[in-house]
Amino acid sequence: MNANAASDKITINGVVFNAIPDARPVTVDGQDTIVKLFAARCKELGSRTAHREKDFGIWKAYTWGDYWTHAKWIGMALRKLGLQRGECVSILSEDRKEWAYFDLGIQAVGGIASGVYTTDSAAQLAYLLKDSDSRFLIVENEEQLDKFLEIEGEVPGVLKVIILEDEGLHDLDHDRCIFIEELYDIGRQADAAEPGTFDAEVEKSRPEDTALLIYTSGTTGMPKGAMLSNENIMAAITAGAHGLPAKPEDEQLCFLPLCHILERDVSIYFPLAAKCTVNFAESPETVFDNLQEVSPMTFTAVPRVWEKIYSRVLILAQEATWFGRASFHLALKAGQKRTKALMEKGSVPAGTALNYWVWDQLVLKNLRRMLGFDRMRRGGTGAAPISPELLKWYWSIGVPLVEGYGMTETAGIATINTPDENKVGTIGKPVPGVHVRIADDGEIQTKGLNNFQGYWRNNEKTAETFTDDGWLRTGDVGRVDDDGYVTITGRLKDIIITAGGKNITPAEIESRLKFSHYINDAVIIGDKRKYLTALIMIDQENVEKYAQEKKVPFSDFASLCRAAQVQDLIRQEVEQVNKEFARVEQIKDFRLIDVLLTAEDEELTPTMKLKRGFVEKRHKPLIDDMY
Amino acid sequence: MSDKPLLEVRNLETFYGPIMAIRGVSLEVHKGSVVTVLGANGAGKTTLLKTISGIMDPEKGEILFQGKHIEGWEPHKVVRAGIVHVPEGREVFPLLTVEENLNLGAYTRSDKSSIAKDKELVFEYFPILAERRNQEAGTLSGGQQQMLAIGRGLMLSPEIMLLDEPSLGLSPLLVQEIFDILKRLNKDEGVTMMLVEQNASAALNLADQGYVMELGRIVMNGSSARLKESEDIKSFYLGHTEEGARGEKRWKRKKTWR
Repeated sequence: MNANAASDKITINGVVFNAIPDARPVTVDGQDTIVKLFAARCKELGSRTAHREKDFGIWKAYTWGDYWTHAKWIGMALRKLGLQRGECVSILSEDRKEWAYFDLGIQAVGGIASGVYTTDSAAQLAYLLKDSDSRFLIVENEEQLDKFLEIEGEVPGVLKVIILEDEGLHDLDHDRCIFIEELYDIGRQADAAEPGTFDAEVEKSRPEDTALLIYTSGTTGMPKGAMLSNENIMAAITAGAHGLPAKPEDEQLCFLPLCHILERDVSIYFPLAAKCTVNFAESPETVFDNLQEVSPMTFTAVPRVWEKIYSRVLILAQEATWFGRASFHLALKAGQKRTKALMEKGSVPAGTALNYWVWDQLVLKNLRRMLGFDRMRRGGTGAAPISPELLKWYWSIGVPLVEGYGMTETAGIATINTPDENKVGTIGKPVPGVHVRIADDGEIQTKGLNNFQGYWRNNEKTAETFTDDGWLRTGDVGRVDDDGYVTITGRLKDIIITAGGKNITPAEIESRLKFSHYINDAVIIGDKRKYLTALIMIDQENVEKYAQEKKVPFSDFASLCRAAQVQDLIRQEVEQVNKEFARVEQIKDFRLIDVLLTAEDEELTPTMKLKRGFVEKRHKPLIDDMY
Repeated sequence: MSDKPLLEVRNLETFYGPIMAIRGVSLEVHKGSVVTVLGANGAGKTTLLKTISGIMDPEKGEILFQGKHIEGWEPHKVVRAGIVHVPEGREVFPLLTVEENLNLGAYTRSDKSSIAKDKELVFEYFPILAERRNQEAGTLSGGQQQMLAIGRGLMLSPEIMLLDEPSLGLSPLLVQEIFDILKRLNKDEGVTMMLVEQNASAALNLADQGYVMELGRIVMNGSSARLKESEDIKSFYLGHTEEGARGEKRWKRKKTWR
């Protein structure tokens, strides 16, 4: 990291980045903080569309100018109401343009933005507000407001609650609650009274300031607030732009929770650099329709969503005429042949390419249009392991889907595959500016300017997370191959030591199980026990479909799990996985979790991953039954 | 209750043109029991009954009645097998008298003396029908027409009655009265019933078992007692409101069906 290096610049799609990504200061178009970049973009792009949101069924556009004005009113109003630089503000809402307005409005006046999942309970909200010492809370609607009202006595530090939707709340009379329009009015007046103050506040931001707090869902213990600085995010933006470039005319769809670093990067921070347009999905339920309407150029999702789309296509194909089915089958074959050549040899023979071109024109193009993938340049997946077969399937229908890896503590990005440099089954190469090493115990450790500052008011945990020489312990175990691609094999903490004294990394077996279309998630049990067993959460949709096809009668979810044929189906899947592992790593028995878990349940993280600790506690009878 | 169900539906799928109204429903009705199917408008409850009684043909799946496959049978054959369908909205013959309506219910039977006995039984349970036996059915009140429709069904001396929303459009008092009679019919005469209802509290009080349908699927099932305790049933079907911090709570909890 020599001092001169920062002056070397490269231009990617019209945006100037540091040529050496880990050179300080990290700048994007000459700006070294998120809000300075935001200010520059809004001035430059004024009347161009920044966001789109659906209002009564019609997509409406909102400009960069709107973005700036609203963020300014928010920032000025919060400042007027008592927000000091370095204090936190919590946002409890589904994705919508106001989420972005608040995120940047808060940061512009030196506040720290912290997201809360809408699925969190009142008690969890209380914990997050207290831990972050939030001065303000933004709530989306009355449902979320009720959570606050339940615990308002516990959080005297919250000065005001700002409500985005007034539906059903016209009679509300509460001295700590105000509606967003009132907040805008306060901001408008404050701005008129002190013109230029907002711009001055933006100028005060420094790369080392904490910009956001992201609570890690944590599969064990209470959530910890990871502090990410301006520099961390600027480094992530730079890394993203090097590896996954976006263009100003790109359209994106925002639908994963913005509280999560992945969607936050992709839908708020990366677009600040790339100048692209973000479309907010109406609700988690309408994502597939919205996807078709927007037809994004880049689309980042979690494996669960890619699974769902795959299942939909299979159902569509099944319901088609025999002619439709046959052509889909042949088209897919042509695609698979091309994918195989591409992945094994790196190039496609002319005959294969021609064959693919024909089928693409006849079938695959239409399929992609039906899915909303017709303009897609690149699909991304992260936050959980994805099946290599699924990745290849997407390539075969003409969707270049690549897997990446990151965590909150690395500002969301650490390694990625790109459409040009892609090794299926790995999490890709370290992004520019990030260095990766494997410690003696197999742990993946990273270093880069994107590595977070530490946990909010928790020096002990921060110290545990960094090595003595300043590398970040990811907690993941893995390896790096000769070409530099990283593969994850498990979680360090989750290592199971069986009664026989054998060390086993359950994550590897669990992710193999998850690759089955019939299994949503699984937890391997076996610590200090004679053999391994598994608790399995089945994929409701696919298993129901299977049962329906095989004429297995079932009524509710529990009876579906009980059905002998379903048990047999899962047993086959488990045996399939067992074949790939050594004798001590065999799953001897399993039980299905027969309640349909939702994100509100403690056993699941907001990204719908099973939490080992909670699962082991909650389903103890099932586990005991297996030993 | 015997082990083998009287009526068994397995993986039923039924379409209205391109629209899949029933997406794989399986359920069981045991002899002598009352089973209720709850659900909102458009859940597929009526379609389910129509498919069982043969008015609609299933695309997939099986219907077993006394161990015999009856899916796809013509409605008149289904009636002869002993399944009677009391349709939604009563559908009595308005220009025929009460007695003629009842006689039509016994159309498939020939044994005069037992028909007469059954008619007496109907009159015993619904005395108002005896009083008005010569009146045109169209001039009866809604509640009386419902009684007539049930009575007409009983005239078949059925193995099972499929009742489609007997409470529809009736005052709470009348609903109470009709459900009391249904209860007696079940307890004293051993009539097996499959009851489709939107009035969940009346239905759960009457039934032994319940199924909840949503969008053509069963989302929950169990004994009536268990369903009555479920938080989801309470808030979505029994109209209980949870007390929020503001005294009222307009938004609904998410359904989990446990």
